[in-house]
Amino acid sequence: MFEGLRQRLSQFRESVSTKERELDNEGIEATASEAPPSDTTLREPSREPEAPKATSAEPVQPASKSAEELTQRIEPNDGKKSKSGKSFFEREIKDKDLEESLWDLEIALLESDVAVSVSEEIIENVKKELVGTKRKWRQDIGALVEQALRNGILQVLDVNGLDFDEIIKNTPKPITIVFTGINGTGKTTTIAKVAYRLKNQGYSVVLAAGDTYRAGALEQIERHAERLGVKLVKHQQGADPAAVIYDAVQYARAKHKDVVLADTAGRIHTNVNLMNQLKKIERVIDADLVVFVDEALAGNDAVERALQFNTAMAIDGSILTKVDADSKGGTAISIAHTTSKPILFLGIGQNYEDIVKFDPQWLLTRLFDEADT
Amino acid sequence: MVMENLGSSLRDTLKKLARANRIDEKTLNEVVKDIQRALLSADVNVALVQQLSKRIKERALKEELSGKLNPRQHVINIVYQELVALLGEPITVPLTRHTVILVGLQGSGKTTTTVKLARFFQKKGLKAAVICADTFRPGAYDQLSQLCERIDVAFYGESENTNAVEITAHGIAELKRHDVILVDTAGRHALESDLVLEMKAINDIANADQRFLVLDSGIGQQASEQARAFNAAIGLTGVIVTKLDGTAKGGGALSAVAEVGTGIAFIGTGETIDDFEKFEPDRFISRLLGMGDIKTLVEMIEEEPPIETEEAEAMLKGDFTLKDMYKQMKAISKMGPLTKIVQMLPLGSLGVDIPDTALQSTKETLDHFKVVMDSMTDEELEHPRIIRSSRIKRIARGSGVPSDNVRELLKYHKMMQRTLKGVRSQKDMQKFLRKQGLK
Repeated sequence: MFEGLRQRLSQFRESVSTKERELDNEGIEATASEAPPSDTTLREPSREPEAPKATSAEPVQPASKSAEELTQRIEPNDGKKSKSGKSFFEREIKDKDLEESLWDLEIALLESDVAVSVSEEIIENVKKELVGTKRKWRQDIGALVEQALRNGILQVLDVNGLDFDEIIKNTPKPITIVFTGINGTGKTTTIAKVAYRLKNQGYSVVLAAGDTYRAGALEQIERHAERLGVKLVKHQQGADPAAVIYDAVQYARAKHKDVVLADTAGRIHTNVNLMNQLKKIERVIDADLVVFVDEALAGNDAVERALQFNTAMAIDGSILTKVDADSKGGTAISIAHTTSKPILFLGIGQNYEDIVKFDPQWLLTRLFDEADT
Repeated sequence: MVMENLGSSLRDTLKKLARANRIDEKTLNEVVKDIQRALLSADVNVALVQQLSKRIKERALKEELSGKLNPRQHVINIVYQELVALLGEPITVPLTRHTVILVGLQGSGKTTTTVKLARFFQKKGLKAAVICADTFRPGAYDQLSQLCERIDVAFYGESENTNAVEITAHGIAELKRHDVILVDTAGRHALESDLVLEMKAINDIANADQRFLVLDSGIGQQASEQARAFNAAIGLTGVIVTKLDGTAKGGGALSAVAEVGTGIAFIGTGETIDDFEKFEPDRFISRLLGMGDIKTLVEMIEEEPPIETEEAEAMLKGDFTLKDMYKQMKAISKMGPLTKIVQMLPLGSLGVDIPDTALQSTKETLDHFKVVMDSMTDEELEHPRIIRSSRIKRIARGSGVPSDNVRELLKYHKMMQRTLKGVRSQKDMQKFLRKQGLK
């Protein structure tokens, strides 16, 4: 994931820097002897930073085209980053200097599935941070923008650093975790993965078959419980999910189990009755953690869903599934931004061990630093 | 969120065009930017949006204004045509003997859709049968067999066998006396090469005439790429879009069909088996742009709609009868989730607060209301005030609901009436009417 954004980012940095260098070099005529031959490999992650931008994967980008022209003109006399420490005058960064580049950057975010409203906000923050600041002559503006963007994204992702493992360790047992989300995001599979993980850490786990609606849901979670060797508390199909989860909690109390993982039926957030059912579950259960499960493939709607689910049953953290489906990953940013709660895990495959902890720093490293290597 | 204002922002900029008698580039740029934003928020592929906006701009400036259309209609018309072109023709399924395979990503709703489609053929008088070729997800077999039993459609599956290709072969042989055979497959994505191979093999064995990609309406930028991969593997003949009862706009589906050059056949609009509709491009495009009925907008010749102004005026005067309410609710319920719609209505901008309770009426409540209203006399519908306890009792008995439901209906009506009276006191009533018409 994030390949696209990463590529766009490095493109962006160069486009900004080149343009600025161009401004710095005003008057100095740099003539390109020959345009570098463009290779056509589209998604090569380990691209040299100073490689020709002509490899732009999306020919429709007007801005990258101009970047292409600019770099081609600059390329010959520009082997490495131009950092001449001489700072005999400073330039103030203006709105106008950034406009085009920021639009380019916004497109990059959008292409990575960051929702429109969220990318606009991030870009706006980057702009606010940069416009009006002074920049030393020949100081790399790309680096400045990158730092601003890095801060912006980190701010969104690194929200009140809830650590799942710490919480499990420190909360009095039994801990009840309820999983919510729309249909087909992978709640049940995720529960099985989390159960597997907790079990390996030495906790005893009880599953609650709270999806009493969908045909085959009982059988599905039953099979998982069997395979994992954990207790499943279930009622019949059509039973009240709140009652099922309540029973599971009672069971865990009586048998001194550590964690109750409660499944719920997938529901579309516009269905008032089903959203009210979630509210009822919250009233009856008083869960320690409410985990919102959504898929990394989701686009703009992720924002609206997260919002509605958060209203029905306040979300403590989210899990992003299907990250392995070559998803762009921006959904993580949208959801974290909307809920102001951290992303806890990523689902990265169909096996029980295919779940990894989400770490904002790791994401940033992937986004920014690896683009250089 | 910003989304709600999207439609209205687009409408506002379009209005600027309406007043001008020729298209100036600056306003056009604004309009195109709004359209861009609407499409991006609807998850249409970014590159596609850029191509599209370029074309819209070119055409809007180049093409002659035809005498009948004002600049606004001219632009809307172009946007509409371009989107229709991308969407392709809606796919119609043959009502003859054939085999269908449904493929898609995990959790897109293949199994539910398979059953809905089986139901569709069943209603058309064809003998449908379903094969469960999902051997991976636990409970898939049970889900499909239970659903098939519910609608009394033949089902073939082998819960112990993990070879989906083998099961499909057995199923095809077993079910050959049925008219339409539907093969449900396990969810997979383009990078799972072993599963892609399996899908190919299943398709070869089934020799499917229709190969549908089932796509979640909420999918983002990945839609085109996934569609391309599925198309490369088995050659798609159409797309079915699911979960359109939510707030997702389905731009991913547009990107997908544009990518592989096919069309949309059906849409899924709910959890029950009958929540399944044939695809209608116009409604889909309206939803994409966050505007009301685009077709009416396109067809509108006059800036001020003459229609229903009188009716609306009467409503605002307080003569808002139960009949009006029913008409309104029906019109609204067709357009989607009520909360969304109300946010799109100009009421909010006039400072009228619509109580939450008013928004919570779902389609179900509407259905209940309809039943109750059917038991009322014309006089009662026109003058709800005359309904007192004995009439309530009679209506309740007639419609088979508790009297409380009848009272609830009356209460709801009163509330709506009061809300509308509130609008009347506003100075901008004329404005309201105009906007109402525009919607």
